[in-house]
Amino acid sequence: MAKIDMQNLEKEIKSIVAEITEIEPEKIALEASFIEDLGMDSMMALEILASIEKKYKLKIPEENLMKITNLKQTVELVSSFLNK
Amino acid sequence: MELNLNIIKKVLHQRYPFLMVDKIVEFEKRKRIVGIKNVSINEPFFTGHFPEKKIMPGALISEAMAQTGAMLFYDEKKKDNPIHYLYSIKARFLHPVVPGDTLQIEAAPIKVTKDAGIIKTEATVEGKTVARGEFAFKAEP
Repeated sequence: MAKIDMQNLEKEIKSIVAEITEIEPEKIALEASFIEDLGMDSMMALEILASIEKKYKLKIPEENLMKITNLKQTVELVSSFLNK
Repeated sequence: MELNLNIIKKVLHQRYPFLMVDKIVEFEKRKRIVGIKNVSINEPFFTGHFPEKKIMPGALISEAMAQTGAMLFYDEKKKDNPIHYLYSIKARFLHPVVPGDTLQIEAAPIKVTKDAGIIKTEATVEGKTVARGEFAFKAEP
């Protein structure tokens, strides 16, 4: 199996987050809290999850929504599903 | 499976002049739905939109699409159906909808949780796509 390019994955997910939150990608720090720092709500998290599923052709169950708390956690979540 | 107006009114809380689904002609719970909205010259919004040229507002085509989408979550076992609040819309309006048109609206879920969902829908008139879009909504009792 091909190794996941984590740097690229981070960049792609950052651009999904940027589009949905309407925040410039440069302003999205790896560990910035989506809720407190970026003003995200639960529906935006759901939209991010749906976008990720579409882009990477994954099915990620809804209980994983809680893990979408910052960019770092989200990248880790996606890579864990890509590795399955 | 078809759903009649009595069932539609159990699921949707909207009423005249804001109930924008006349009937459901195909229904697979949480999978796929096809609804019909007959657009009559008597629609109240045609009085003002526009006096000189009757066109159904895109905002109301969206409303019809969202209402059809909400019907995807009809569950005959549930007594109280929640109100679905719109959260976001991404839509395109490709052709005008005018008095006499029959809007056929198809919807399917993209991602659904226990109290929220994202759906995609397409509206056609006589087989021609007039609008399509993605809607996110939250359900609250």
